[in-house]
Amino acid sequence: MTLVGVGLSKRFGQTVAAKDIPITLRTGTVHAIVGENGAGKSTTLRMLGGAIRPDSGELTLNGSPYAPHSTFDATHRGVALVHQEITINRSLSVAENIFIGDLRRYAGPLGVLKRKQIAAAAQASLDRIGVKISVTANIERLNLGELKCIEIARAISSNPNTLLLDESTAYLDHREVDAVLNVMAELKSKGMTIGFVSHHLSEVLAVADDLTILKDGQFVRSCSAASIEANEIHRLMVGRDVMHGIYPPRSPTTASAAAPALRATKVAVGRELNEINFEVRPGEILGLAGLKGAGAEALFAGIVGDEPLRHGHLQLEGEDYRPINPRAAWQHGIAHLPGDRGNEGLIVSFSVLDNLVMAQPPAYGPFFSSARARVMASDLIKLIGIRTSGPAAPCSSLSGGNMQKVVLGKCLAIVPGLLLLNNPTRGVDIGAREEIYRIMRQKASEGLAILLSSEDMPELIGLADRLMVLRRGVIVHEFHSLENVEEHDIVQHMI
Amino acid sequence: MSETMKENSPGGAAPAREIGLKGHQIELLRRGFPAIFLATLVVVFTIMSPRFLSLGNLLTVLEQGTVLLVTALGVSFIIMAGSIDISVGAIVAVSALVAALTANTLGPFAIIPAVAVGAMCGCLNGLLVAVGKVPSFVATLGTQVVFRGLVLYFTKGAPVEILNDGFLDAYSSISFGIPHTVVIGLVLAVVTWAIFKFTVFGREVLAIGGGERVAILTGIAVTRVKIIMFVLLGALCGMAGLLQGARTMAATSQLGFGLELDVIASVVVGGTPLTGGLGSITNTCLGVLIVTLLSNGMNMAGVDPYLQNIIKGVVLITAVYINIDRKKIGIIK
Repeated sequence: MTLVGVGLSKRFGQTVAAKDIPITLRTGTVHAIVGENGAGKSTTLRMLGGAIRPDSGELTLNGSPYAPHSTFDATHRGVALVHQEITINRSLSVAENIFIGDLRRYAGPLGVLKRKQIAAAAQASLDRIGVKISVTANIERLNLGELKCIEIARAISSNPNTLLLDESTAYLDHREVDAVLNVMAELKSKGMTIGFVSHHLSEVLAVADDLTILKDGQFVRSCSAASIEANEIHRLMVGRDVMHGIYPPRSPTTASAAAPALRATKVAVGRELNEINFEVRPGEILGLAGLKGAGAEALFAGIVGDEPLRHGHLQLEGEDYRPINPRAAWQHGIAHLPGDRGNEGLIVSFSVLDNLVMAQPPAYGPFFSSARARVMASDLIKLIGIRTSGPAAPCSSLSGGNMQKVVLGKCLAIVPGLLLLNNPTRGVDIGAREEIYRIMRQKASEGLAILLSSEDMPELIGLADRLMVLRRGVIVHEFHSLENVEEHDIVQHMI
Repeated sequence: MSETMKENSPGGAAPAREIGLKGHQIELLRRGFPAIFLATLVVVFTIMSPRFLSLGNLLTVLEQGTVLLVTALGVSFIIMAGSIDISVGAIVAVSALVAALTANTLGPFAIIPAVAVGAMCGCLNGLLVAVGKVPSFVATLGTQVVFRGLVLYFTKGAPVEILNDGFLDAYSSISFGIPHTVVIGLVLAVVTWAIFKFTVFGREVLAIGGGERVAILTGIAVTRVKIIMFVLLGALCGMAGLLQGARTMAATSQLGFGLELDVIASVVVGGTPLTGGLGSITNTCLGVLIVTLLSNGMNMAGVDPYLQNIIKGVVLITAVYINIDRKKIGIIK
């Protein structure tokens, strides 16, 4: 099934999300749409899948006109869209989730669900995409990658011949990403046409046959994946050569004699983290690698007092520190950038200023000082390069990258001695990444100790001065220098 | 409070580039809605009853609305933080009883035990919600019954009269043509407005409503802020109970019955959503005026009392229906 779009355009208010985009999904191939945040990737894909109606432009399916007015409509024409967000309902079974849109088909007399039939049909869908998930599995125990596979199985259950995946791997870790990529390969081998949107070039190059590069809502280039280098794709996405400068040079190691900013002795948190020892020195970026659940999140929760330490103790600059709650942590100069920006890092409906000064609002006694807050906010906006119309602009008007810069600004506003970063560049485009990296390195060279937990291996290799690999709650390996370390050197310790 | 937390605007003005010029006008209209609605009510009732717009009647409206105003001021904080308190009417009854029992010996100083007991009731709510993690609706549903039960237990259902002249002079007489209750209510409104607008506490309340998890992880003392806001509400309810007792010259177990519904209606009609994270004291004051004027106006216009509740309910729902920015809320529960 060949899906062709010509001159696809879409505006949201005054923002041009996509302008005159041409795209051709050839039968039985995998087509990747790549670009920075806000490049128009998702918009384009969603126009193909009927989730958004283009303002102008034409779509054809195998040569016949195709103008879906909903995803439902698109499904009828054989085009299925898998959304970016996980839409699994955890109180339903695997089978019910797969047929959530079509449960009536399996309803017997009096509307009672025919459990055996629905389970068999669901299992068939799962088998067809080649994943080893049983329909009887407890949905609570499945990981995000498996949930994503269930969503793909849901899309497949309508027997489409074209499958569209919107950033299906954005929140998955390595193992989970591999599972999804395998499913894509499996479906392609069965003749499915696949279109997908991704941030990660390694994924794109692993599975895509063709790719379309977009930038700022405009078409840049379309070509076969084999004919282009990763560097070239990067350059076209950003519009300039970033591959050399994206990670700032490491500063020569300073002050190893200084007391460690944080020393952890036999620290154990919850079920995930078991008695680990380490220290971070001022001026150092200490990387933490590990699969989800390997202990990095638990370690952060323990340090900031969001979860109690099960065992062990912490010292800050040589002084004993007992993490009681996040408030105590901030008061001790520990700033924390959580992994979930929307729910934990930022109040999106609040203004940039309100978020920036939230940790330690400038005040005279109980009274908030708006004058000092304004100065503070505009200084931070300038320092971090937050692109906003002003401190009073709501964060909802910012791009993902700029939102993350606001969270970083909130952390730096308290002039911390220790900064915990949990995947600081997740869902952040390359331009903003570069600036976040620059600030991190600059602050480190000024004496800030940074703990960086990330699922992005190149980021850890490019930024960290040292790296600890966590697996099942213990430190399994430590890299004292990351010169000449390759991605797979780290990954082999993680799994 | 900086000017960036715009009153009654979801996180400041919506970005113009997203909603366009027409959207911007709609946004402005929506934000000004409580004021427009209030003006419409005044016009309609003036036409229906010429006496409506007299100075005498306006003072009556203010006097009638004081108890509602004082309690709604406190509830605004609770709702802006995303919680709810339905025990306000019961706290008012408890405080009125305390005022009645102490007025004979303490005179005007009965205000101290009345407000203190109100604050204690609020503190209990705050502890249940913030420390005990009981959802505020359930916690205050429970304490409401307990508080009201306490009043019944101590009065055995009989009213307790307030006859102390010093007390009544202080809280229910008129000086220079203005009822003391009105002055007290307005002073409290200004004080609460200042607390909300100028203190760190006010910002923290909004932050909790905007995203409690974010607030906790950013080091805001969420437990403390929640307890303080419930204590503040309790104290205001204590004051309201005192004023209500002074007005009716007695404390009864039925005092303040159903008040919580009018209070929540006032806050919401004023434009503060129950989801928290935005709102202002000025909005609450507008809402209180709307709810009070509606009752007063219908009485003045001679609307059948049996019909009044129906009209009131319909008008309130209509107001909120127009007022809510559905696009931003998305899912309503």
